[in-house]
Amino acid sequence: MTASLTAFLRQHRNELGLLAAILAVIAITATIDDSYREKPGYNAKEILRQTSMLGIFALGAAIVIISGGIDLSSGAVIAMSSTVCGSILFALSETDANGIPMTETGGIGILTVAILGTLFVGFLIGSFHAWLVTAVNLPPFVATLASLVGLRSLARVLIPEVTREVSGIETTKLYVYHEQLAFLGETWWVALAVFATLALALWVLMSRTVIGRHIYAMGGNEAAAQLSGIRTDRLKWLAYCIGAVTASIAGILYTGYVGTSDPTTLGMGYELNAIAAAVVGGCSLTGGIGTILGTALGALFLRAVIDAVAKTIKSGADDYEGMIVGVLVVLAVALNALRTDSGLARQFFNGKLGSVSIGILTLLSGTITFVMVETNKISTAWIVVASVLALLSLRKYLEVAAMRKKSAL
Amino acid sequence: MIAPETLISISHVSKRFGGVVAVNDLSFDIRAGELHSIVGENGAGKSTLMKILSGVLTEYEGQIRLRGREVLFSGTRDAEEAGVSIIHQELNLVEELTVAANIFLGREKRTGLGFIDDRAMEKESAQLFEQLQCQIAPTQLISELRIGDQQLVEIAKALSLHANILIMDEPTSALTESEVERLFKVIERLQSSGVTIVYISHKMDEVFHLSDRITVLRDGKLVKSLERDATTPREVTHLMVGRDIEEVERRTGGTTGDIVLEVKNLFLPWTGHAREWRLQDINFSLKRGEVLGIAGLMGAGRTELLECLFGASPTQPQGQIWLDGALQFFDTPATAMQQGVALVTEDRKRLGLFDHMSVRDNITICSLEQITNLGLVSKSREQAITAESIDALGVKCDGTEVGISSLSGGNQQKCVIARWLRTHPELLLLDDPTRGVDVGAKSEIYKLINGLCQDGMAIILTSSELPELIKLSDRVLVLCEGLLTGRLEGDAITEKAIMEAATQRNS
Repeated sequence: MTASLTAFLRQHRNELGLLAAILAVIAITATIDDSYREKPGYNAKEILRQTSMLGIFALGAAIVIISGGIDLSSGAVIAMSSTVCGSILFALSETDANGIPMTETGGIGILTVAILGTLFVGFLIGSFHAWLVTAVNLPPFVATLASLVGLRSLARVLIPEVTREVSGIETTKLYVYHEQLAFLGETWWVALAVFATLALALWVLMSRTVIGRHIYAMGGNEAAAQLSGIRTDRLKWLAYCIGAVTASIAGILYTGYVGTSDPTTLGMGYELNAIAAAVVGGCSLTGGIGTILGTALGALFLRAVIDAVAKTIKSGADDYEGMIVGVLVVLAVALNALRTDSGLARQFFNGKLGSVSIGILTLLSGTITFVMVETNKISTAWIVVASVLALLSLRKYLEVAAMRKKSAL
Repeated sequence: MIAPETLISISHVSKRFGGVVAVNDLSFDIRAGELHSIVGENGAGKSTLMKILSGVLTEYEGQIRLRGREVLFSGTRDAEEAGVSIIHQELNLVEELTVAANIFLGREKRTGLGFIDDRAMEKESAQLFEQLQCQIAPTQLISELRIGDQQLVEIAKALSLHANILIMDEPTSALTESEVERLFKVIERLQSSGVTIVYISHKMDEVFHLSDRITVLRDGKLVKSLERDATTPREVTHLMVGRDIEEVERRTGGTTGDIVLEVKNLFLPWTGHAREWRLQDINFSLKRGEVLGIAGLMGAGRTELLECLFGASPTQPQGQIWLDGALQFFDTPATAMQQGVALVTEDRKRLGLFDHMSVRDNITICSLEQITNLGLVSKSREQAITAESIDALGVKCDGTEVGISSLSGGNQQKCVIARWLRTHPELLLLDDPTRGVDVGAKSEIYKLINGLCQDGMAIILTSSELPELIKLSDRVLVLCEGLLTGRLEGDAITEKAIMEAATQRNS
């Protein structure tokens, strides 16, 4: 019994670690901020909604990463999907006396067409990526980078054309007032249900089916997978389609949530959040390693930390999001690397690059302190700068001493 | 007689990788100006010791003294400065750069303005080749050179570093006979100019032709250092193996059945290469229960031939492949696998193993479809068939769930073979299956091969070790630069006959 328990713990230590980290973040936030204690229900719903929205396409990103590729296009696919969804609703709705479509009159039928159409476009985008990667032999980074810049731009030029064709008036974004779509986008449990269903389906796919095992094998060693009679081209097709279609689902929900199709801003930079959630959740960018559960927890952890910072900062919290994601990704991956390699015994601040890095870390921690604390900004920042500098210098001194000792024998 | 001066003194050197002791308390001396051969089976610790001597591995126990002074190289750069250079079995050259650029890689000559001075480097390279009495143009790209010439580039590089200790790791494994002769002349010239050479090999004729002294390693330990004149190849072989080699009986005329495979006019194009064809007009057939050996030097096309039969060649071959009387077109390994062909690849680490997966994953990856219920893989059945395979092939491992990378090379290879046996192939292609496998596992693999063909499987086998090929094969085909230059059967299969056919075009 204890043996199987240890095996269980070892196998899931990444997920368990994340779970502990999430609970810790929530506990700390609850002690600092009143809102968690006063309105736990509201806060929980909000975090779950945001986690679900991110998680839906983070799962897609994770599958592509596990398969040994990378998908940089999710943000742009979200924008494109929103455009397609809005455009279909716009084009199919009845028009008023001035010829302007009344999207609010569209019923379930039109919405179903719009959703299916959008998902189909997602499938086409994913298939196109797979074709570029397998047949044209482009590196996944390049193929999906082209989509990242190209698709959003295409969506932006599509909207004026669509609005002019349908209503005669050119606009740069589409206002979509559709009752059921808004319900889907705004209700917290819809996003959660979609996310949970997807996670369950993908978990079964990845850990219980032959296809899933083959995806792990391909991500771990593509040449060996091919020589084991695995049709890697088909698996890549599936992986990129899951990546794009999950982003399309998110695009539909975001359209309902914000009530517009605005490709200029929607989903900007989201691809990196998705990759970050996957990486924090334990996926390795070299492929073959990662889990669905880990990715879901990674998304929850990211949102919990972002929310915690928002609660403590109050104003302009959105600006901190990128910074938080950046720090967390580096920390999560570094912790993973340190666990396996020679760990903390390695030389971090060796040579000139090491000295410069001490300066960078000092400066960075000082700047972050300066923008994050609310009172005594400058003096607090100086204290942090001085202590970080002292600590890292001590570390460097110890490393140099250890090195000398070794070479002197 | 003056006692020869000790140049390198190795004392109590040990090195372990995780739980595996690669080198165990080694002590011996290398004298100035001698050619010192280090021999031993795969896994005896030769390569690890050489990596320590040349600064590739910097962490080990024990001491190394160079000219009486203790040294601890911080890297290969450091070792080179002390005059120690190594030529690895797998050459370390940048194929896209020229010969001169490779010789001076990392210490490029510059003009007064700080730009790269190609002309000076080319001039100096030309002088080095003159010194070696070889004709290689410094402006040629490495990718245009034959392997033998590439090796000379490495030697020239070592010379330009003023190396007075040169370590050569199995330098002749990829060379033709004439290239080997040229290399031996170069080695003699180096020796006469005072370079000490540490020569790693397991080919007895070479070792006895060149060496002054021979050191035998086994299982990471020193067995003995011997004067060449005071020993015999037989004694050295015996010391290497540590016991009388268990002779696997050469199979004699087993009952062979119907024709399984027929290859007709097989050509494999080689785009952008002067030779045009990797394989040219290959014809042969294979019967049930037969072991067909494919011999040839490195680059002769052994691996390429097996890849053609498995749909794994980078370009499509021309010609016909008939399996069980039906014409086949293998566009991918998946198609070949469905038709009952299996390939155990030569490069296990790169093309065979799924490193971070378990023994179970590695064994069942090709046959998962057999154990699904409603599309889901049945874990209990998977574990059961894995246990069955482990048992059948005698894989030594701590359960089905341990990582494949924790196993020894021989056991990893058994897992890869088990993977393919689970697909019940009719035709089994084994590309150098005992490469990097210890002696014990080797003889088990021999027994396995004999058993499989007795059960009626058709097997094609390649090997870098001729005795192995001779022992196991019913017939041997010899390739030389993509051409079939020899067909040997029965008692006609001898090392001499194979080598003659394998070097036909070169010497």
